[in-house]
Amino acid sequence: MFLSLSRRRVLLLVVLTCMLLITLDKRGNPVIDRARGVFARVLQPVDTATKAISLPIERVWYGISNYDNVQSERDALRDQLEHMKGNDVEARSAILEYRELLKVNQLASKFQYDTVAAQVVGESPSNFQNTVEINVGSRQGVAVGMPVTDGAGLVGRITKVFPTRSIVLLITDPEFSISAQVLSTPDEGTAAPPTESTTLSGIPISDLTSTTTTTTLPPTTTTVATADTGQSTTSSTPANTTTTTLLAVVRETGTLQGQGADKPLWLRFVDTTSSVTSVKVGAIVDTAGGNNGLAPQGIPIGVITNIERQTGSSSALVEVTPNASLRRLNFVAVVLYVPNQDAVGK
Amino acid sequence: MRTVVFGPLIRLVPVGLIALSIQRVVFAAHPVHDVKLQFVLALVVAAGAGGGADRGAVAGFVLGLLYDASGNTPLGLMALAYGVAGMTAGYVHTFTPDPQWWLASIFAFFGAAVGEAAIPVAEVITGESGWVTRDIALTVPIVAAFCALMCPLLMPVGRWMMGVRRKKWKAMLE
Repeated sequence: MFLSLSRRRVLLLVVLTCMLLITLDKRGNPVIDRARGVFARVLQPVDTATKAISLPIERVWYGISNYDNVQSERDALRDQLEHMKGNDVEARSAILEYRELLKVNQLASKFQYDTVAAQVVGESPSNFQNTVEINVGSRQGVAVGMPVTDGAGLVGRITKVFPTRSIVLLITDPEFSISAQVLSTPDEGTAAPPTESTTLSGIPISDLTSTTTTTTLPPTTTTVATADTGQSTTSSTPANTTTTTLLAVVRETGTLQGQGADKPLWLRFVDTTSSVTSVKVGAIVDTAGGNNGLAPQGIPIGVITNIERQTGSSSALVEVTPNASLRRLNFVAVVLYVPNQDAVGK
Repeated sequence: MRTVVFGPLIRLVPVGLIALSIQRVVFAAHPVHDVKLQFVLALVVAAGAGGGADRGAVAGFVLGLLYDASGNTPLGLMALAYGVAGMTAGYVHTFTPDPQWWLASIFAFFGAAVGEAAIPVAEVITGESGWVTRDIALTVPIVAAFCALMCPLLMPVGRWMMGVRRKKWKAMLE
């Protein structure tokens, strides 16, 4: 074909065809989507064959080059595991209390949605996309827009779905953005606010200090009659004192956006003064939820690691380091939460 | 005519599938200085350096389409970038119809650099966010150097894929 055409015509044909295809795909074309699905199926056995050939070579190479590191890494991981076991027990009890509270207040959360476990089967081959491929698709109920998490936090969201595979856009991709919230207590964090801090409603944080309620119950006497002897046992309980500490939690909402692989995420607040005032380094960031949210409320995303005040502006650049280790993803979970399609489109 | 139309395509698609699979399984998983080396791009520029600008553009278009179909990019975006890469590498034929390996490697370097740099630019133009950042300064030379190194090895594959026979020079008999 191209031998019978002049060079300029070939090039023009290539460029115009590319433009046409890009336009069709960007507008959403079912034929192209179907073709992608078919191509994914065709590519799957080729990928499997390539893996079968390359994996033994790769393992032998790793065995030779990383032998010394494996033992020290194993010891470090064992230590870490012991430490995490303690944290796990504490976290479980906190989660149970949290669920109870959500139930009482009839609030929606991530816990009311089912999840589908998946394995990461491939990374993006390009330098300019931060995506991974997972081995579940529309047959398992996965749909475009669903959030994906691992044990540590949010990993990304589904952008393309095939029958048995899906593509996940990672949270570090510049195209990724999600509504997030920062939860912090006034005494949390390490960075001191430069001026008098206020919440969204303008209340100074210093006024929102923790409130301690102390309730003292009078001593009680219980009489228990035992059936077999007919005697009664009397036990008395001393005066009971319960202390409940109500901490004022500051909640700030904003949009979190990726900045590229291995780079922290940027958080932009709805109220631009928030970052300068109430938000501090070390505060936890999780998904904000809501009707137009891409994920249900409460999925942990990361921790604020840096706040850069911008000169000549009331706002600041808030950097968030993701909890999930995106370099070493293996098993993930797709939360079967179908977000509002308008939000997905954005 | 029929062999001209279907001959290269019949070879391009299976070779492209294998190259794409190697890219996805091997090179995507082992970045060098956080840069993923581009095996498919190396094959495109090798085909261009071996077969000329127009053949390079067609090889880039077809392999780029396969790349797009497997990934998250809009269909046609990588095809455009790789088409430009193959065409640039193929300009070596304006100097000599049978380039030496080092000359082909130099053009492969420039072709790959243009192709890799064209991806974020095309993404910005087509409304994707794009990564026109300082990272390109590291990504482009590493990818281009890899393609230049791979060019002499992949040029025979590229020639076969595009149905080009290497010219055999014979001494003129009196």
